[in-house]
Amino acid sequence: MAIKDLTTSTARRPFQRRRKTCPFSGPNAPKIDYKDVRLLQRYVSERGKIVPSRITAVSALKQRELAKAIKRARFIGIMPYAVQ
Amino acid sequence: MALYEHIFLARQDVSPTQVEEMTAALTGVITEGGGKVTKNEYWGLKSLSYRIKKNRKAHYTLLNIDAPHQAVAEMERQMGINEDILRFMTIRVDELEEGPSAMMQKRDRDDDRGDRPGGPRGDRGGFDRGSRPPRRF
Repeated sequence: MAIKDLTTSTARRPFQRRRKTCPFSGPNAPKIDYKDVRLLQRYVSERGKIVPSRITAVSALKQRELAKAIKRARFIGIMPYAVQ
Repeated sequence: MALYEHIFLARQDVSPTQVEEMTAALTGVITEGGGKVTKNEYWGLKSLSYRIKKNRKAHYTLLNIDAPHQAVAEMERQMGINEDILRFMTIRVDELEEGPSAMMQKRDRDDDRGDRPGGPRGDRGGFDRGSRPPRRF
């Protein structure tokens, strides 16, 4: 028991980040919808750019869906292309 | 028949009643073409994120359409001619959503965000180092 405990604690680096999971996977995950500006707003930067999935931890499949939704929202004028 | 979600933006100086008339006219085009409009949602005069044809605001209307392609194409053709319509977008969907869309229920959604303690992108800043390993001397 003591030996096992020692190995796990040495393997863990002091600044280990918690592994993030995709916010659109799993049960009661929100549905990606281009009309839902409030949801999409969380995945764009202050300048209005789409935030890369390595920062938001969205899965590749959902990131494609999300990017499409953001682009649709931009087209109908409910989200900006660029913020000055 | 195919299912579509259709959003159109009307110029800011037209009145809401005129928008209603426009919607009725477009619904007529769809029904003539053998389809039907299952939902009609008027979002009101909303400000745009950027100027579209010199307009800063627009009347938004969402239509859920169940119609053959020809009817939708005809409606889009007429919308392109109409100068009061700034922009429109038709998207084919697998299923139409029932009830009010995300845009209409936005106000009540503020409350059910309690599951995200960090707020927007709260997991981006500080570190979460996990549980601390037991101390050994």
